[in-house]
Amino acid sequence: MAEHLLDVNQVTVRFGGLVALDRVDLHVEPGRTTAILGPNGAGKTTLFNAVAGVVHPTSGAISLDGRDITKALPSRRSRDGIARTFQITQPFVGLTVRENVMVSIVSRGVAMREARDEAAEYVSFVGLGPKMDEPARTLSTGQRKRLELARALATKPRLLLLDEVTGGVDRPSIPEILDLIRRLRDERGITIVVVEHNMEVLFGLADDAVFLNRGEVVVTGSMAEVAEHEAVRRIYLGDGDA
Amino acid sequence: MTEVFGRRPFLVLALLAAALLVVPFLPLNDYVLHILTVFLIFSVFATGWNLTLGILGLKTLGHHAFFAIGAYLSAITAYYGGVSPWLTVWVGALSAAAAGVFIGFPILRIRSMPHVAIVTLAFAEIVRLVFSNLKDITRGELGFWGIPPFDPITVGDMTVRFGIGNAVGSFALAAVFFLAVHLALLLLLTSRTGLTFLAIRDSETAAESLGIRLSAWKLFAFGVSAAVVGLSGAVYAHYVMILTPTSTAGPEMLITLLAMIIVGGVGRFFGPIAGALLLTVLSEVLREFGDFRMLLYGLVIIVFVFVAPHGIAGLRLGRLRKAERAEPGTAGAT
Ligand SMILES: Nc1ncnc2c1ncn2[C@@H]1O[C@H](COP(=O)(O)OP(=O)(O)O)[C@@H](O)[C@H]1O
Ligand SMILES: [Mg+2]
Repeated sequence: MAEHLLDVNQVTVRFGGLVALDRVDLHVEPGRTTAILGPNGAGKTTLFNAVAGVVHPTSGAISLDGRDITKALPSRRSRDGIARTFQITQPFVGLTVRENVMVSIVSRGVAMREARDEAAEYVSFVGLGPKMDEPARTLSTGQRKRLELARALATKPRLLLLDEVTGGVDRPSIPEILDLIRRLRDERGITIVVVEHNMEVLFGLADDAVFLNRGEVVVTGSMAEVAEHEAVRRIYLGDGDA
Repeated sequence: MTEVFGRRPFLVLALLAAALLVVPFLPLNDYVLHILTVFLIFSVFATGWNLTLGILGLKTLGHHAFFAIGAYLSAITAYYGGVSPWLTVWVGALSAAAAGVFIGFPILRIRSMPHVAIVTLAFAEIVRLVFSNLKDITRGELGFWGIPPFDPITVGDMTVRFGIGNAVGSFALAAVFFLAVHLALLLLLTSRTGLTFLAIRDSETAAESLGIRLSAWKLFAFGVSAAVVGLSGAVYAHYVMILTPTSTAGPEMLITLLAMIIVGGVGRFFGPIAGALLLTVLSEVLREFGDFRMLLYGLVIIVFVFVAPHGIAGLRLGRLRKAERAEPGTAGAT
């Protein structure tokens, strides 16, 4: 068995009576891109929240590089190399695009002056160069998704969790965003876990996939295997969303 | 961070310094100097409170407690211990900072803003009651009088005296205090500290996901904010030389200070200064109306919250933006 970067072992998350995740397993190998698929309410975002440390598993364990992080704070996990974007974007609206990214950089202990220059590189990388010194509140949904990507990258992550990067983004911009993600994997060797509601988007991007439904893992395997799987087809067709 | 500090915050502070430098040379009577002195002290109070309220974004409503703690602890140490107010004000500031960190701990666990507001408000009420009931030390609501003023300073053959009744000296001291605190805060807040506070204000979850230790930064902000407010309380104590628990930690103080911050501009660095000037002057003008002033302030707060949520500072910025947008158009026409 290969060494895993991320191990989610039998994680259960309950919100009162609701079981959002039910003994979920997820094993991510370094350098690979994994898709988390599933209909709305399947528990995809909750899985990210558990990995990022925002929600606490009722039972089960999470480890990064074989080290247990189940109880670590989100800020600790960020410094350990986990970065994420949010399904519902959370830009620092009162800061400029550049300043948003500087937050990640100064939190690593870099001085403001250097952080300004470094931030500019990430902002340009995600294609927000023309918006560099505009307040983040002026950005469109698609631009906010890019901003979050830049902010996450600026933490220099090993593991990047992307929650519905194409959600709410206008169709023409989608290929460009997917291309960015591909470059992260190919040029920077970042391990990526990407949540998608819309499966088509992920062909050619994801190596592996996990299909969740009602908090349970239904299928795990290569992207192609999961996409072909009978149960997946049934749920997606039944869901009427595919 | 331009939204908070404007484009040239250090220049603004330098202009304020220049304006304050001119004041002693103007033909102003002692009464006007007194009002300006009170304004300067309350500006620091409002700025300190704005740090948690507007810049960190926590709806804390009990900072008048830190004002009272700073004022009383400095006054008590100076009065009973015979220590110079030049030293005891730091005792006041540090005690307030300690109280700030102390109340900060339970607040870390509260994510709901109304609850933060209630807990901090209750804390202020407890502080007021404690100072009221420690009658052997503070004389309660009868008033703690006889607080020594700052010791005079002699430069060459000129002696500068402080405390109420020494208008010029008191004004000069308040001005130096005002400038020093605002300069220190500006240096602190235009660095990574300020950037981090603003990130926490806009999204705690996102800030935390980018590696920011929320608890440590919030406690630090609470400590600094309480220290600044406590210091302003201490300077106030040795200026007016009499304190009562209700005049320092009572509801009037809460309403007046909130009005200053909200009218000036929550979360704008220079906003509370403008608010403090306006409200201090207004309070003097409306002195004969007594308690009705509070009614008016309450009304002013409500109007600003709805009509101009960013206060006076926000209005000005809005005009600047419009002017900027207009510029390229006019340039194109020529
Ligand atoms: N913080 C929370 N408190 C209560 N219920 C939650 C919370 N977060 C998610 N849920 C519930 O958990 C289930 C899974 O949600 P989520 O993980 O957001 O699904 P997905 O991202 O796959 O659409 C949903 O029923 C949702 O309402
Ligand atoms: Mg989701």
